[in-house]
Amino acid sequence: MIPKAFLFVVVIVYTAFAAGPFVWVATMSLRTTSEITQDHYAWPETLHWEKFPQAWFNSNYSVYFENSLLVVVSAVAVLTVVGAMAAHCFARYRFRVNRILYFIIFSAIIFPPQITIIALFQILVQYGLYNSLVGLTLVYIAVQLPLTVYILESFFARIPADLFDAARIDGYPEWQIFWKVSLPIALPAIATTIILNTILLWNEFLYAVVLITDEAKRTLPLGIQRFMGDQLEDVGMIATGLMIAIIPVVLIYVFFSEKLIQGMTAGAVK
Amino acid sequence: MPVAPRPGEALPPARALPPASLDRQPWGAIIAFLLPAFTIYIALTAYPVFRTLWNSFHKVLPRNEAYVGLDNYAALVQDEIFWRSVQNTFIWACASPLAEVSIALLLALALYAKIPGRRFFRIAWFTPVLMSYVVVGIVWVWIYNYDWGAANAILRALGLERWVQAWIGDPRIALPSLIFITTWMWTGFNMVVLLAALHALPSEVIEAAELDNCGWGAKLLHIIIPMVKPTLLNLLVLSFIGKMKIFDLVWITTKGGPLWSTETVSTYTYKRAFEWNTFDLGYPSTIAAVWFVFVLVAVLGLTWAFRQRDRLEY
Amino acid sequence: MATVALKALTKRYPGSDLLAVDAVDLDIAHGEFMVLLGPSGCGKSTTLRMIAGLESIGSGELTIDGKRVNDIPAKDRDIAMVFQSYALYPHMTVFDNLAFGLRRRSVSASEIRDRVRDVAATLGLAELLKRKPHALSGGQRQRVALGRAIVRDPKVFLFDEPLSNLDAALRVGMRGELIKLHHRLGVTMIYVTHDQVEAMTMGDRICIMNGGKVVQIGAPLDVYREPADMFVAAFLGSPPANLLTGRFNGSGLEVGDMRLPVARRDSADEVIFAIRPEDIRIDGSAPHAQGEVLAVEPLGAETIVRFRLPGVASDVLVRGPRTVAAKVGERVPVVFDLDAAHLFDPVTTRRIL
Repeated sequence: MIPKAFLFVVVIVYTAFAAGPFVWVATMSLRTTSEITQDHYAWPETLHWEKFPQAWFNSNYSVYFENSLLVVVSAVAVLTVVGAMAAHCFARYRFRVNRILYFIIFSAIIFPPQITIIALFQILVQYGLYNSLVGLTLVYIAVQLPLTVYILESFFARIPADLFDAARIDGYPEWQIFWKVSLPIALPAIATTIILNTILLWNEFLYAVVLITDEAKRTLPLGIQRFMGDQLEDVGMIATGLMIAIIPVVLIYVFFSEKLIQGMTAGAVK
Repeated sequence: MPVAPRPGEALPPARALPPASLDRQPWGAIIAFLLPAFTIYIALTAYPVFRTLWNSFHKVLPRNEAYVGLDNYAALVQDEIFWRSVQNTFIWACASPLAEVSIALLLALALYAKIPGRRFFRIAWFTPVLMSYVVVGIVWVWIYNYDWGAANAILRALGLERWVQAWIGDPRIALPSLIFITTWMWTGFNMVVLLAALHALPSEVIEAAELDNCGWGAKLLHIIIPMVKPTLLNLLVLSFIGKMKIFDLVWITTKGGPLWSTETVSTYTYKRAFEWNTFDLGYPSTIAAVWFVFVLVAVLGLTWAFRQRDRLEY
Repeated sequence: MATVALKALTKRYPGSDLLAVDAVDLDIAHGEFMVLLGPSGCGKSTTLRMIAGLESIGSGELTIDGKRVNDIPAKDRDIAMVFQSYALYPHMTVFDNLAFGLRRRSVSASEIRDRVRDVAATLGLAELLKRKPHALSGGQRQRVALGRAIVRDPKVFLFDEPLSNLDAALRVGMRGELIKLHHRLGVTMIYVTHDQVEAMTMGDRICIMNGGKVVQIGAPLDVYREPADMFVAAFLGSPPANLLTGRFNGSGLEVGDMRLPVARRDSADEVIFAIRPEDIRIDGSAPHAQGEVLAVEPLGAETIVRFRLPGVASDVLVRGPRTVAAKVGERVPVVFDLDAAHLFDPVTTRRIL
């Protein structure tokens, strides 16, 4: 048997490796670039909190932030309702083409983004949705729909069919059964998909970079890239900018770590 | 003796079976539930796929589309950069899963041995996957910085000066350096999943192995790995699919350079569609179409190779 | 109160060659407690679900109060159902679970409250109205499921093995309560179970099903004493009837080496001789045979003795008083109560005597 102390050391080393880069960025976000240039790895002596408002106001961060918030919240709201409706239907009704339709949606999980992105560009241009947050939101809904349906379907399928039968005998039509029985019972799974989709879309870069060019429409990941380009050598300022982008994710994670881990790992555990 | 009713006998004994009664389903409700999802799916997933396939047989210039038959495909076969990007992507998609999953398994086993503060470690290790590739990319560009990056700083501190190098500036090691980043990012994720799988194993089996006086290595090889095999295979496939799509990280760190050494199919498609001033969307669509087939074949192949011949019962 | 009539009700699931329910005919009277009894997979639950409107009817006709309801959806049939799993809505309090069905039926809020309170009081749930199902014991959940049906005041109650998730002691208690409930409400109830004790104690009549078909319908004791075929004889009773192969020879019936004074019927020579364990006595006066004791199972109130009779292939079970003093290996005299015995045709399995 390997001694426990050794295992513990391995675990500590790996943890430092995994978390180290973030700690480093966090220290740099509170130091000025001239301080950083002297020693990149020193602990901040004076905490330069003022860099945060600077980074926020010297760039278009408020715009990026607002855009991201708008796109993510609306996409996640629509995704949740539309995905839950489809998942409920797949889990609840035995009809002939059920599994075929489910597979059609599910298989899109493996599609490489290139296969749609060029045509999506063309389509959005055609309908005047290129360079618009509405267009990006629609694309985000389509991109996350398969995963959402997949996670919710597997949860809905575990709700005992007797509950639906009881509600039917109690006199409720199908839509109300979804609304008053399925959805409230599936609340934990719904919360999981909401948090998961929020994080994934908050971080999304490829579709945004293709579909948005207008400075005023940039989402946060585009904004950070832009900010990095502008500040280039100002490592301290970029670090502050990165922290601003990370903080919402960290906050969500702090409050919902279990839910999030569940969501992220939902597809993998067998 | 009272005669019990015999309802069955009232009918002729050999009746033709009634036509298969399909359950009447509330079709109205089914259609209403699926309509929004399929509208979105058809408009923004299925239609774009077909349009890309259509594009691949055309020269697609703004306001001018011309049928070119298989010209794009013929050009693609000759396109060395494309094949370089395919090679890079496949190297990435094959190396990453093996590295991530094997390291993750070892770490998960370490944590399985009841180390204090397990919850904390679990949360800490999971953090990298929550960050966007943009953030991760910028941080790692710094870590790989020749003058003051952490990678070289550590090597210098250890007295290994001759290993100091331009990690993402040297075509020979740029790709491994990027693969290292995704491994850093995803190992924690794989570990959390494996840990969940290990905890789902019945403890009696592992205890029984202990009683059988199995060595640690034998226990790992003959008991633990076979039992978490479904999860392991799943993680391999999942990691593979993820790396076949990789774009953001490359775009932020190297843009495919130096000298195409980190070009992936995603970055090359993007360049041909939106960066190079050829304005033709037909050729990049051909790349996408061919790659789409590659991915489908690879995933189907893996699923087939990894199919469970006999499900483990425990 | 309502009558329910099933005429040649048939159901086949898509993709299956077998009929899940095969031409079931059943007339249920006003206020009757009808039990559908049979082993799992015999079609009893499917039949119940067709009555409820949860399964479509393949062919045949279902009427409630003389009105054809084949095509009327579940919600408009005015029935209530208690499920084996109870099917309580886990996200609602007990009160809301009870009120849920009323809220769809344009009942005023105050009346809902009164009716829920009434039902909760009768079922001893008054203190639990604010709880959610996960905070209830199995027995309490069962009551809520029952209450949800009662509060609706339906024409027909349907029960799908409602007691099978309870432990043995609770089950006996609930059985009694259901009987009382039926007497109090006087409503038509249809009750599906695979438990013959539930069927015997609760049913006004029992409808025994096997392989999708009705085998026998009758009052509990009639069905027990006069089984229509071998299946019923073997299914009812614990232990069930002894079924022994016999052959008419001359004036009597040969069972193994025994010769029993049973009059020959106009049927085949080969028959199945069936006799319930309580219709065999261990008695020295005029024994029919000497049996070798294989096992003695004292159950407290009675004793089950397992015999081997000369020339009989299968073991024979005898239900004796608790005072039976047989020992394993002993040979003891055995007497059959031939008036209570039956003969079955081994081919058709129907009863011939």
